[in-house]
Amino acid sequence: MIINVKNLVKKYDGYTALDGLNFTVEHGDIFGFLGPNGAGKTTTIRIMTAIIQADSGNVLIDGHSILGEPLAVKKIINALPESNGYYEWMTAHEYLELFSHLYKEKTSKQEVYKLLEIVGLYGKENHFIRTYSRGMKQRLGIARALINRPKLLFLDEPTNGLDPKGRRDIHDLLIDLNRNHDTTIFLSTHLLDDVERLCNRIAIINYGKIVRMGELDRMKGKGTIEDIFFLSTKEGTL
Amino acid sequence: MKAACIMQKEIRESILTPKGSLWYILTSMILSVLSYLFLTNSELSLLDQGQMLYMIMNFITALGVLMGLVFGADAFAGEIERGTLEALFLSPVTKVEIATGKLGAALANWGILFAISLPYLFVVGKGGQNLFVGIAYLAFLGTFLAITSSAFSMGLSSRIKSVKNSLIISFFIFLLAGSPIFLSAAQRGTWFGRIIDFINPFAGAINTFDSVVIDSQGFGYQAGRVATIFGYTLLSLWFLKRSVSRLEM
Repeated sequence: MIINVKNLVKKYDGYTALDGLNFTVEHGDIFGFLGPNGAGKTTTIRIMTAIIQADSGNVLIDGHSILGEPLAVKKIINALPESNGYYEWMTAHEYLELFSHLYKEKTSKQEVYKLLEIVGLYGKENHFIRTYSRGMKQRLGIARALINRPKLLFLDEPTNGLDPKGRRDIHDLLIDLNRNHDTTIFLSTHLLDDVERLCNRIAIINYGKIVRMGELDRMKGKGTIEDIFFLSTKEGTL
Repeated sequence: MKAACIMQKEIRESILTPKGSLWYILTSMILSVLSYLFLTNSELSLLDQGQMLYMIMNFITALGVLMGLVFGADAFAGEIERGTLEALFLSPVTKVEIATGKLGAALANWGILFAISLPYLFVVGKGGQNLFVGIAYLAFLGTFLAITSSAFSMGLSSRIKSVKNSLIISFFIFLLAGSPIFLSAAQRGTWFGRIIDFINPFAGAINTFDSVVIDSQGFGYQAGRVATIFGYTLLSLWFLKRSVSRLEM
């Protein structure tokens, strides 16, 4: 398995964001991480990417503990945060070059151009980021998240605010990354369309706990994804 | 190496942009006006060269401290507000390396300010006593004060996570630090003024300039004040390291 989350607990000022979270993700999965707003999705991702520390529990990423080897973990993962900001005064090429240098001293220009090509921004690499549309910025964010060729990619609401064409493009890109570049994808979202189109396994989190987890196809035998989500999170029934 | 990348990014963002270079243009303009007045105004030109040099040195030091505080206030809080810090944290770079890069850029900022002021110092102090030793003390103490103000402000910025609040506190501290400039001689003589003077590294620096440039006193007289300023620098670096190590999104 590539992710093994063991009994994670995180509290903020007395509020329990994660309450003994346990789950695993296998190599090659596109794993959907669903839950209502405030369920603990972003907190979980921030702990798994070693940005914040859990109060207790641990996460093993490809066998590396995020507590003991955070830098080793960061070399094999990457992420696109929910509210990812950009250095808008840079060009896309400069932006990717900056992050590339943070991973290794020498980066070939071809590598950066290849990434831009993968995300469909080739030819626009010398435009300032401030001139990019929201969809183009998301693509650039994904390119930045691929800069170290991660085995595991975390995406937090990657299609939020995109138009249908932008969403479709991101879907196609993620499927391509998973199938042709051997990237395991951990997708946090509350957009059920994204999950249906992309994921093979899902987990539903509510009040900091996993309330349901398994193969999407098997779950769908018991109703639509919407039914499963609402029943699991007790937000109402259809 | 990674700290150098961050430093390069910061320098490009804060110094080599039209907004950033405005600081330097304004500095040059103010120094030009001050120098012109010192040399041509009938009352000011009666001051001896050492006195003029001392006043310009005070101004440059105050500006260095102010720029350090402003630069530092935006360092972490600004990146958090703009949503750019998380991507840096995702990279295999430690928080201390990020802080080192940002501090390096703040120091480069002071270096540019000092370089801009050199011609003015030479013009105003030419022919007077202790010009070179005065400039050496400005370089030395100004660097320590720039590190102190930037590191303190960055530490604050990483704790408060709000540019506005970091700036307000930084300006308040600047007013306290600049009290020898802002308080009258009578106010400086009160218990409040004396306490501020005693604990204030900026006051320590300008008293040192006074002692070196005007009174021509040697290093032996300055050692205590220099050690105090150095102590503040170490303290602010410790504060920065402690603050960024605890920084969470």
